[in-house]
Amino acid sequence: MQLKVKDIRKSFADKEVLHGINFTVQSGKAMGFLGRNGAGKSTLFRCLMNVFRADSGQFLLDGKPFKPGDYRIGYLPEERGMYAKNKVLEQLVYFARLRGGSKEDATRSAKEWISFFELDDYANRPLEHLSKGNQQKIQIAQAFLNDPDILILDEPFSGLDPVNAGIFKGAIKEFVKKGALLIFSSHQMAYVEEVCDDISLIHEGDILLTGDLDAIKRQRGQHKLYMRVDDLPPAALIDLLKQAFPPVTCDILEESIIIDTGNQVAQTDIMAFLSKQPWTVARFGVYEPSLNDIFISLAGGEQA
Amino acid sequence: MRNFKLVFGYELSNQLGKKSVRVTTFIIMLVVFALFFIPRFGDLFAPPQVALDSAAPGDAGYVAAVEGAGYVFSDEDLKNHFVPILRAEENDIYASRDELLEAVRERDVAVGFVIKSPTAFESIWQDKDMYSTAPDTLAAIMSRAHINSMLSAKNITLEEVEAVQNFQVDQATTIMGKNSVNNVILAFAFTFVVYMIVLMYGNTTSTMIAREKDSKTMELLITSANPSSLILGKVAASGASAMIQMGLILAAAVAGFRINKNLLPPEITVMLSGTLTTEYIAAFLFYSLVGYIMYLFLYASLGSTVSKVEDVGGATALIQFLFIGAYLASTLTMNLPNSTLSVITSLFPFTSIMVMPLRVALVTVPLWQHALAGGLLTLFTIGFAFLSIKIYRWGTLNYGNKKGFFHAIKMVLKVKN
Repeated sequence: MQLKVKDIRKSFADKEVLHGINFTVQSGKAMGFLGRNGAGKSTLFRCLMNVFRADSGQFLLDGKPFKPGDYRIGYLPEERGMYAKNKVLEQLVYFARLRGGSKEDATRSAKEWISFFELDDYANRPLEHLSKGNQQKIQIAQAFLNDPDILILDEPFSGLDPVNAGIFKGAIKEFVKKGALLIFSSHQMAYVEEVCDDISLIHEGDILLTGDLDAIKRQRGQHKLYMRVDDLPPAALIDLLKQAFPPVTCDILEESIIIDTGNQVAQTDIMAFLSKQPWTVARFGVYEPSLNDIFISLAGGEQA
Repeated sequence: MRNFKLVFGYELSNQLGKKSVRVTTFIIMLVVFALFFIPRFGDLFAPPQVALDSAAPGDAGYVAAVEGAGYVFSDEDLKNHFVPILRAEENDIYASRDELLEAVRERDVAVGFVIKSPTAFESIWQDKDMYSTAPDTLAAIMSRAHINSMLSAKNITLEEVEAVQNFQVDQATTIMGKNSVNNVILAFAFTFVVYMIVLMYGNTTSTMIAREKDSKTMELLITSANPSSLILGKVAASGASAMIQMGLILAAAVAGFRINKNLLPPEITVMLSGTLTTEYIAAFLFYSLVGYIMYLFLYASLGSTVSKVEDVGGATALIQFLFIGAYLASTLTMNLPNSTLSVITSLFPFTSIMVMPLRVALVTVPLWQHALAGGLLTLFTIGFAFLSIKIYRWGTLNYGNKKGFFHAIKMVLKVKN
């Protein structure tokens, strides 16, 4: 399956919040949808799920207009909510059946996911009796009911401890491996890097970047070197390098520096220059930016 | 609509599964059932006892005792005259006002009476409660004794006077329509039941929908099922829940009635057979049920306009006033069932729910009025069902914004989503 988001626009009270969103999601490849708070991630998900109707543009699944009711979709909204006073198993079965599952399948699926999160002891308790973290797991479980073909998860990792996040990450990978189409938003870049093959970065309603994550990293690290010297401050190192190689530009990244050669200075020349110096070079290599670096450099300011 | 049955079943089991609902229903059933057993424990339906008992003819007229009273008489003649009438014992009589005051203070007697003349007395209390009738009883006894004395002076007995006063005019009645006297009590009782059900379940429906928004469940629901299945399922569940409760209470009443039928006063059987005609039952079921569903749709719409449960009260105030107006209209109909106002309110959908069944119980309602009222009520119910689906769907887009009902109507009619 291929989901194509094509020129989606959405306004609220004459303020346009999505300015023509375009990207593509392939089944079998997880898509991470990144952006700061208020960038438009949840609005796009809501348009996709037909909670809001887009002002213009289309969602196309395999070239045909996408109708959420026609597919098995697992959706985890940004604003979590289930019936607080109802029993966990009972309401999971209800949601599974609302989405078209038979009573038997819905019950089996609900029980499986309760077990997956090791919450069997709470199956027949009201949701409000569970801790906040366990309630979060039940919220996630409801998205996975009925073995969905498409998973749309808004901030699925928020509220999960590292152990459960790890378990959940495994479940996501399994789904993707089975050929499900997955798109999820997250602020936790480490999880996105681990799980996603593709990313799209939205900023103030515009897509700044979309495509294969490894390719993006390579492209954004092209002609860049990473260096850390123990006995020289980064600023002094930059001055020396600029004197030796005027075409390079440098940036400080914590205790290290990133050298952009602009394809005008050979890596071997820089290595030769370093070998003649009296300092201890702690690290030196081709620079590949982390997703966090990419996010900050594009979305700007502090991380959302 | 494929999920209607599922939503209906889930919401119904939620409502009936509440412990408070089950306990309340059981208690009401028990009370209603027990009410029919009262005649077994005493003749509570007999008219209240008069304070004065008739004495034998030729006696002093009427005699009666005022329980717990002590007396002082101004002179011996008064004492001789009143002691037999009042059935006073020797230890009820005191020599002076001071002695009587002391007896009252010591609570030897509940009340003290100083009889000053055949037509004057003073009552003495330590503490006088709100409902004490002892002075009125004594006043009645003295009044009748005085009248008896006056009549005796003219050789007329009190019995003779009362026989003249209490003659009965022979009257025959032919009623071709309905007898309001028999029907009004039961019909109004049913109207009151409808009033209570609409208010109770209307608020329950509004709160149920507002809670879904408050707890953020609505987004999950709206992306899992279509809004028409959701809202129709919820409203139908509220309706069915009330019907089941009322059915159980009615069953308890019927059981109680059948067991004690022979002990109940004949007036009750007359009242039941007079009111519960096929025409009344059909009208009651149609107007009450359809009107109730219409109000539930209105309450559901109002619940969709707010994001927090605590805002439900304010949002439903308008409809509460409208419904209380309908109730007041039904009280007017009870007295003037054929007045212009009663006819209009029995046709108007917001009031016909209560007024029309009441009119059917009291007078003969022309067929054209039934056709018009029934048609309007059905149309309004369908209209509000459609509107509530739209408002419910629109409500999901308005988290945090408290919007008025009329604003919501304007928006759903204008906006495509």
